Amino acid sequence: MESRRPPPSPFVENYVVPGDVVLDLSEMTNQTIKLGAGLRQECDTIQATSSGKLRLSKPNKYWVESSQKRYTPSVEDTVLGIVVDTKPDNFLVDIKGPNLAFLPVLAFEGGTRRNIPKFEIGTLIYARVVKANSIMNPELSCMDATGKAAEFGQLKDGYMFDTSTGMSRMLLSSPTCPVLEALGKKLSFEIAVGLNGRVWVNAPAPNTVILVSNAIIRSESLSGIKQRAMVENLLQKLT
Amino acid sequence: MAMEHLRWRPTVNERDFIERALQSDLRVDGRNSFDFRTLKITFGREDGTSEVQLGETHVMAYVTAQLVQPYWDRPNEGTLAIFTEFSPMADPAFEAGRPGESAIELGRVIDRGLRPSRAVDMESLCVVAGRHVWSVRVDLHILDNGGNLIDAANIAALAALSTFRRPECTVGGDDGQQVIVHDPEVRDPIPLTIHHMPIAVTFAYFGEGNIVVLDPTYKEEAVMGGRVSATINSNGDVCAIQKAGVEGVMSGVIMQCLRIASVKAADITSKIKKAVKLCISPAQASCRRPQQHRQHPILVQERQTSLAPPDSAPMVEASSEEDAQPVTESSNAEAKSTSSTGAIGESDEAQEIGSPKSLKDAIKPKHKRKKKVAG
Repeated sequence: MESRRPPPSPFVENYVVPGDVVLDLSEMTNQTIKLGAGLRQECDTIQATSSGKLRLSKPNKYWVESSQKRYTPSVEDTVLGIVVDTKPDNFLVDIKGPNLAFLPVLAFEGGTRRNIPKFEIGTLIYARVVKANSIMNPELSCMDATGKAAEFGQLKDGYMFDTSTGMSRMLLSSPTCPVLEALGKKLSFEIAVGLNGRVWVNAPAPNTVILVSNAIIRSESLSGIKQRAMVENLLQKLT
Repeated sequence: MAMEHLRWRPTVNERDFIERALQSDLRVDGRNSFDFRTLKITFGREDGTSEVQLGETHVMAYVTAQLVQPYWDRPNEGTLAIFTEFSPMADPAFEAGRPGESAIELGRVIDRGLRPSRAVDMESLCVVAGRHVWSVRVDLHILDNGGNLIDAANIAALAALSTFRRPECTVGGDDGQQVIVHDPEVRDPIPLTIHHMPIAVTFAYFGEGNIVVLDPTYKEEAVMGGRVSATINSNGDVCAIQKAGVEGVMSGVIMQCLRIASVKAADITSKIKKAVKLCISPAQASCRRPQQHRQHPILVQERQTSLAPPDSAPMVEASSEEDAQPVTESSNAEAKSTSSTGAIGESDEAQEIGSPKSLKDAIKPKHKRKKKVAG
């Protein structure tokens, strides 16, 4: 089996630009390779079509990760949306993508025609992307795959701000992102991160919320050590 | 509907949180209630171009001048006009094409601060009384809307006007009526005379008009109840005030804002002057480098009514840099500016307007250009 495994692409965990040949298929036989965003098959090669970091998820899923302000909806992403309009069948939700997303009024745990939630314009919703392609409006759901509510739904109070998509991926990565870890040691707050570049923070004191949101916004371009140092600095200024 | 969903609307959460935090004197970006964001002033290569960054707001100003006929009731004065352009890259709500309401409002507020207060000396722009005066035009381009466009655009306009230089022109010829505009290579261009700097300071009101903050950000602007922009110079003279929004404001609160504004105006005036001083001094030294002649096409034309050979006075005057603005020694580390190298490259055209103009024409200026390129 060792000989059958494809040689790892030299680009994995490195930056690629459009046109880079990432994999040569002529060397591999009987392999199934899953391609995610930013990759395309050209005859015998796999080429990158967008610039970013090439990621590999064992055993065989490749994709290109890039960080932007805009969000391209893809299935199974958890996002934070803002309700823009209500229709009889759907809520129209803005998720920072090219189109407005539809959230069916029944896509809630135990949702029936009788207990449709009342969301006013400007409500913040934590939801999951169910359908997404470039042609149609994406579709959301406030239930997980088994039909439970699982933290989805309206987010009350707190404060929301925008980040880039790369930053929100970093905040959701495991092990915990350094800035969140450093903040979590001293402060207590709750946080919801949307992969579309929106973050919601809530804490009992407005002071804490402001500190957490500013720390996260500033940590985008800092390395792990610098993030911790920055958080230390901010916390010292408070006390 | 296509563009509607791109307009940003604040969520209920943000609106409530911003107001609640302001009740405890906290601003979302951690500033104090009466703190300006970081101000950065830079200048372009040509005279009269400036870029201002106030926090995330980014504005560019561009000053040009041309010879026109004066208004018939002000035959000794030049004119100053402000034009604004809201680029769609600044905000998804801005559309290209005709300026919308907010663009026109911005232009009017800045114009009212600069023109009636006589910040720029108009009489020195007169060349031949009743026939030829300089018309100065300031174009403001909004590159990024991070809130508080009025203050940032005002600073950009003042910085650009401070570094702008118009070509020198002499009146001569047989009948003493011919205007010869000198090439900037031949004679140094002359800066404008600026008497004082009217600085716009914007306050946003929340709650029932009892919470006031200075220099609102984009989100604070979306949530605020009303706004007051006061244009004050460092002497404490109020040049203009504009109040927008539905909320009523107590007169005591407005007086307090004016007091705060005059302090801030002095601070910002010193920052602008410091940035201008850093820009101008190296530019003087690099005035006569030959390679810069090639870079900037010379578009100044020498206009004469007779066929006499152009008055080419090759005398190189010593750079007559009039210290129009007194330079203050202020060590304010926040104003950063990069100096520009080239000071050459005016693109002016001498032009003549057929019909006599009055102030009514200010509403719809008609420019009929007749270009004559001297050989």
